[in-house]
Amino acid sequence: MKLSLDLSVVFPALVASRLLLALTNLPDALKHDHQLSSPLTSYLNLQEGIYLFKNGIDPYSGGIFRHSPLFLALFTTILPTSRTVASVIWTLCDAVGAWALVQIWRARQRVSQTSRDGLIAGAYLLNPYIFLSTLSLSTSPFENMLTLIAVMFAAQGNASPSLLAAALLLHLSLSSVVLLAPLILLLASSPVSQLASPRAFAKNGKNVAPLVAEFAAYAAILSLASTLVSGGWAWVPQTWGASLTLPDLTPNCGLWWYFFTEMFDHFRPFFLMVFSIHLLIYIAPVCIKFQYDPLYATFILLGILATFKPYPTMADPGLFLSMLAVFPEIYPYLRYPIVTTLLHLHAALLMPLFHHLWLNQGTANANFFYASTLVFACANGAALTDCVWAGLRIAIGEPQDGYVVVQE
Amino acid sequence: MFSRLLLLFLFSWTWGTLAATPSHEQIVGDFFNKNGASGGSTSNHTNNWAVLVCSSRYWFNYRHMANALGMYRTVKRLGIPDSNIILMLADDAACNARNRFPGSVYANPGRGLDLYGDNIEVDYRGYEVTVENFIRVLTGRMEPSVPRSKRLLSDASSNIFVYMTGHGGNEFLKFQDNEEISAFDIADAFEQMWQKKRYNEIFFMIDTCQANTMYSKFYSPNILATGSSKLDQNSYSYENDNDLGISVIDRFTHYVLEFMERINKTSHESMADLFAYYDPVKIHSDPGVRSDLFRRPLSEVRITDFLGGVAQVEVGEGVPVDTAAVGEDQWPLQGESPAVPPVLPVAENTQERVGDLGGGWRGMRAWGGVLLIGGLVGWVGFRS
Repeated sequence: MKLSLDLSVVFPALVASRLLLALTNLPDALKHDHQLSSPLTSYLNLQEGIYLFKNGIDPYSGGIFRHSPLFLALFTTILPTSRTVASVIWTLCDAVGAWALVQIWRARQRVSQTSRDGLIAGAYLLNPYIFLSTLSLSTSPFENMLTLIAVMFAAQGNASPSLLAAALLLHLSLSSVVLLAPLILLLASSPVSQLASPRAFAKNGKNVAPLVAEFAAYAAILSLASTLVSGGWAWVPQTWGASLTLPDLTPNCGLWWYFFTEMFDHFRPFFLMVFSIHLLIYIAPVCIKFQYDPLYATFILLGILATFKPYPTMADPGLFLSMLAVFPEIYPYLRYPIVTTLLHLHAALLMPLFHHLWLNQGTANANFFYASTLVFACANGAALTDCVWAGLRIAIGEPQDGYVVVQE
Repeated sequence: MFSRLLLLFLFSWTWGTLAATPSHEQIVGDFFNKNGASGGSTSNHTNNWAVLVCSSRYWFNYRHMANALGMYRTVKRLGIPDSNIILMLADDAACNARNRFPGSVYANPGRGLDLYGDNIEVDYRGYEVTVENFIRVLTGRMEPSVPRSKRLLSDASSNIFVYMTGHGGNEFLKFQDNEEISAFDIADAFEQMWQKKRYNEIFFMIDTCQANTMYSKFYSPNILATGSSKLDQNSYSYENDNDLGISVIDRFTHYVLEFMERINKTSHESMADLFAYYDPVKIHSDPGVRSDLFRRPLSEVRITDFLGGVAQVEVGEGVPVDTAAVGEDQWPLQGESPAVPPVLPVAENTQERVGDLGGGWRGMRAWGGVLLIGGLVGWVGFRS
């Protein structure tokens, strides 16, 4: 049985159906959802900030608008601010992300076309975590798109576009600085799958330092552009500072908010530091362990980002799970994919339910929702650990009769 | 001989001078009577209070509630504010389960005017209408915790209108079916008020059976009293309303209110006119008046001296109009520039920022950012 998964058929169909969905009034129902959008990505906050900006009030003087000034610049000049146009833009953003994922797959396989292209595009566009986030008009699909574009250009060996996309991504989300190291490693080596044959880091001739400098230059120019647009430096503590100081404790699907609702002020700086550094401590081990396959390191770090980000939305683990489609070689070595799937199903069904019971109906309390976010974190963690195991296990080879692989 | 003449001259001159010099009391009296002489009213009060008491409860005493509320409406209409009215009602008629028109109290058959409405202020309601509270209100001897709205904060130049209605008898009035107040109690309360300078003049009106006995025991000055019926006479209700099923007002109060409907704030009708309006044939009883304690002639006492909140106006000479004292309760209206609401600067926040020159630059800044991003993207695309 051969499935017709030709990209030229699947891709337009999926994008068209997504467009149709986006033009209904489903976004109006979803844009308030706390799992699909966070205070940093909410469409309502974006609208408010653009309105304030257009009326001469500094959007960063209040605590509502935490988007980057680049959004202000784009939406008050070249992009119109109507709802239908927004739906179209968000759908296009997802389409670009799906196309970038397909290109990443193709670059990894070193071919220009495969039979699995349609499947990859479908894995991204049909992932409910991703398409519900896009329908809710939160700006996390932009982050996904920029991540995928950065990784795509890095996989194709184009340094400058990749670093520019990474710099843009940094301006949208400070936590994505975690992805800088594997991206640069990827630029400096190749995307081809080396999971089965680990070796030391193989440079392809590019030096790392100029790449870092180029990235820093792009980030600095974009910071200057942001300062120019917003008329001052207030955007820095409001946007980047929000990831570090967690001023807004709106419930989301992450782990930070509940912890910090019950945090005494005396300990708050210490634990903010702990949580932030916690994100950073994964970079070195993952990059060192997977130095022979930086694309896989990127993938793992995306998963870590999705689980431990300050203000995650469902789109972040959605990206991680969709990108799993690019690594079919590890599928035989996943130990408990069904458990992971069921945990995700469990969490994905319980989170909105407990959120509704807590905040809409009033018959539950925050602990219900927090417990479901813990299950969600469990599901993400299970997926992560399984992927790490499989990525390492693949190097050992096929299981043989009479032998069993143990960890010392 | 010459020294006797000198002595006589000195004596007559001294006596004449002394006689011609007005005494201090006369000066003060002249001051307070100045307006009276020119304005036509001889009253020298500066504020008005009203104490309206309905001492009955239960549905079948609906008419007493209507009596008090009718007086309340009249007194308010003629200018006494709620802050100067103490209204004591059992207040169980409007929302009574038997009331076919819930939330309303009517004082005439045919239900033309709703006296209850949504703008009345009852100070003592329900079981708070007691003899003790009434006497405490009059004498001012209360717990410190009693709020201002329940206090009679009158002074030596207050004219007080005291109206009482309910079931009464020979020198007593029944309070809410379980206690009585006697004429002596009220007389003593008024004397306490006089001693403590809590009134200038009191107008006491009472509508009960044998009402005139209630004012027979007063002994304090400046009290004018009137009642609905004399000893051994009942006071009767006016008419039933067919839909409510009970009588809605008493005769005496009905005719008094009928007289009051012709009065407004600027009327010059006097108490003599009111008392002349009494018709024992229509009222079915003999209303009485007691004016021996009252020092002014009744034809010079205006209705609005007691039932209205009229203040004396004194126009000074030689001062511009906009600064003349126009009464105790009014602010100067003319002569000031109309109040202009302050214009709120919209772009205030952006004005304070360094390097921001306001709204016009905002669009340019946004375009500058976009061009910078676009330039970066273009340059990168061109290079690769």
